[in-house]
Amino acid sequence: MPKDLSRRELMRRSIAAGGLFAAGSLMPVSSTLANQAPGQTAAQSETEKRVPATMAGGKVVQPRRDVPVLHKTSILVVGGGPAGTAAAFSAKRLGVDVTLVERYGYLGGLATGGLVLGIFPLYNRENKQVIFGIGEEFMKKLDVLKYGIIDRNKPPVYPTIDAEAFKFVLASMLLDSGITTYLDCWGVDAIVDGKGAVRGAVFESKSGRQAILADIVIDASGDGDIYAAAGAAFEKVKTNIGLISRIGNIDEVDMAPGRGSEDPTKPSIGRPDEGGRPSKGRVNDFSGHAGNSTPAPHVNWLNMRGPVGDALDISDLTEFELKHRIGTWGNVEKLRQKAGNEQVYLTETAPQLGVRLSRLLDGVKKLKVDEIRNGATFKDVIGYSGAYANAPAFQIPYGSLVPAKVENVLAAGRCISAEFEVADITRLIPVCWVTGQAAGLAAALCIQNNCKPRNVNVAKLQDLLHQQGAYLG
Amino acid sequence: MMFLRRVPRRVIQLTCFVGAVVLVWPLLPWKIAPRFFQQLSPFVALSSSIAARSVGVGAILALIVAVVSSFKKRWFCLYLCPTGFLLENTSRVGLRKTRWWGKLPPVGRYVAIITLAGAVAGYPLLMWMDPLCIFSSPFAMNKATNPTSVFLVSLGLGVLVGATFVFGMAWCVRICPLSGLQDMLFYARKALWTRLSASVPNRKLVERFSGGRGFSPDVKLVKIRGASAPEGHSAAPSHISGVARRAFFASAGGALLALGARRLGAARYRKSDTLLRPPGAVPEDRFAGLCIRCNNCVHACPTKIIHPDTGREGGLAGFAAPVIRFDRDYKYCLETCDACTQVCPTGALTPLTLQQKNKYIIGEALADNNICLTALGKKECDACELACPYDAVKITWDEAQYISYPVVNDKCVGCGACEVVCPTIPIKAIRVWTQKPA
Repeated sequence: MPKDLSRRELMRRSIAAGGLFAAGSLMPVSSTLANQAPGQTAAQSETEKRVPATMAGGKVVQPRRDVPVLHKTSILVVGGGPAGTAAAFSAKRLGVDVTLVERYGYLGGLATGGLVLGIFPLYNRENKQVIFGIGEEFMKKLDVLKYGIIDRNKPPVYPTIDAEAFKFVLASMLLDSGITTYLDCWGVDAIVDGKGAVRGAVFESKSGRQAILADIVIDASGDGDIYAAAGAAFEKVKTNIGLISRIGNIDEVDMAPGRGSEDPTKPSIGRPDEGGRPSKGRVNDFSGHAGNSTPAPHVNWLNMRGPVGDALDISDLTEFELKHRIGTWGNVEKLRQKAGNEQVYLTETAPQLGVRLSRLLDGVKKLKVDEIRNGATFKDVIGYSGAYANAPAFQIPYGSLVPAKVENVLAAGRCISAEFEVADITRLIPVCWVTGQAAGLAAALCIQNNCKPRNVNVAKLQDLLHQQGAYLG
Repeated sequence: MMFLRRVPRRVIQLTCFVGAVVLVWPLLPWKIAPRFFQQLSPFVALSSSIAARSVGVGAILALIVAVVSSFKKRWFCLYLCPTGFLLENTSRVGLRKTRWWGKLPPVGRYVAIITLAGAVAGYPLLMWMDPLCIFSSPFAMNKATNPTSVFLVSLGLGVLVGATFVFGMAWCVRICPLSGLQDMLFYARKALWTRLSASVPNRKLVERFSGGRGFSPDVKLVKIRGASAPEGHSAAPSHISGVARRAFFASAGGALLALGARRLGAARYRKSDTLLRPPGAVPEDRFAGLCIRCNNCVHACPTKIIHPDTGREGGLAGFAAPVIRFDRDYKYCLETCDACTQVCPTGALTPLTLQQKNKYIIGEALADNNICLTALGKKECDACELACPYDAVKITWDEAQYISYPVVNDKCVGCGACEVVCPTIPIKAIRVWTQKPA
């Protein structure tokens, strides 16, 4: 009777969550988190009999073993990055039970740990903001923080956030939300029932291998780890993997003559004729990067596009982790050689590699590059992406979050169903907020109406998105 | 022709005027219609065929006009020419009522001679004085994107109408090269007729052919006959030799000027960084000569990137000839369009198929890594790479410098797609430059 069980579970969880929420302000922070499932975890891991991998016939074999169930929930969000946090917060607001699991020790994913501080694309070609909802809420919370965010409402210049400020905002919101959260927990497998439907996910952490059972799983892992493990079809893509860093003691605006800028409000540097003809095939002779200003004074963030690599190949990732840090150090040394920059230092390299894309879901709807260029409209629109490069602002359909075959799982963030060129835009931070929020609300509707993600009432979903301030055109 | 006599001339003129507007607007769904309008002019068809060393289909129309005009003096001016119709009516309401221009030398014939001689040298110098071109250029007005181009496209016809209002019909009667050419055709035909039909030269007729003080192309004929002329006409009449001399100097001058202009144009192109011509343009040494400033291409361009040049790019010789500028948002030379190459009446823009047009090199895109947001680590930007319809721009990782920047390969045709999406202000990090030989 899995259905009955889940309904009963839902009731229990909702009540428990409501109680926790009420008690949250009275309880110390640590106990709020620790008391989510007291006793269970400790007891199970104590009694767990270790079954190590063995050698058999020259192969390493993992013997069959039971995986302890850490937790049962209605909606399990795997990944606490921009999409995962947006999904968890928006779903939780509908009063359903939500559990969030994150691999790193902080929330925000690439927006904080990846130092992707530029919040673009937010605007359409007419410089009108087209992304609101939970993302706008995050930015409003940053607005009131000193050194939290700059360049708000200055299109076409995009806002830039501070990573630590955003970690602070997300952590505070999380503690207030009553969402059950497990950090430092790496989702490694899907739990699939006899009918091929997803029933939860398996995690590795310091507590060992554990399972969380859920009615709906939102895969906001970025790499689509969960839907891939569940057997959903996907396209694997390779693209550039960089590493962002921050440099200190640098002027906020690089005023060297001939430099381009995106900001029409900043002083015009030279006339258009004065750039001079670059010689063909010339390897560029500049003496270091300059980066872009951040909310922290005299600190710039320095993007790195990086070489093409396989984000699912651990040797590529290892190579980049090492080489990118060496390369960044070298470029900062070069930058110091330029007059006026002698005091520049490397503040930090991002904890997380700048993985752009790895898996792209084969969804109910694959968003095509021709559609976004031609301004296609969708009945199941769940939000917009801003204009980026030669693509105008475009609609994102709900179908691109739903796997073509596997049930009970939704994709959110960079791993949704889109062609490579489109995914190269939908992977960006504010668009991940959009798909995350839609996935979260869709999952909540599934729980409330006891339906499958592919059967969600789209009109109701759009209504909920409107209620939460999202922009649907 | 008799039936036409019964129809008032002004009715025919008005019909032709309306027809001309329909052709050059163009109100027809037939996109290449404007081209056939200017090709009606035998002056344009002849000069451009000589200069381009090729004859187009449209020249058949011009041939018909030429033949009729050689039988009926200034037939084209009287019945067909829309500029003539406009100026004739302007002069009716104008200030000057006397026919003072009868005293003027027949400038139009010299203009025609100079231009044809220039055409032999590959540069038909004054072809832009053709009345049909002057008539059609203001029709690009609705595509003009700034006050300067509005001014430029309306300049020719505006000056003519204004001058006719103040000074009368001097242009049509004495200066217009198309009427000059028609006169020459008419007298040449008559002289030929006379030579074939009469054994005795008719001195008075010759005098009349040559227009008194003017020049007619039958000089040589007259001179040859002059040698065998009856007593009293043993030497060639002085005014005829004067005419011959003037014609000779006009031809020689036209050819020399044309060669000079070609050298200047080539030099200008070598020096320029910003001179971009529409696709299909003949090499720059001949372009400004072959171009008659009819603005058909300016008008045809759906993205309005073709502008009449203020002289900034092409210099004085290239004044008002079309140049491409990528100064409007997201507008570039579309990979789906070959419109401008299809409407050029003179072959200054060679007619190209879409496939050929997409291989025509307008210029070359070059990236400045000291401006590029990606190279400077300022932003995640690959706008140019995404925008390029020809797969010619790649943001490339440079392991040695540990940065990425746009690298343009030889598939680039200079369509400008990258330049218009490049987000840097005020200088674009990637721009299309005049192509230089490697």
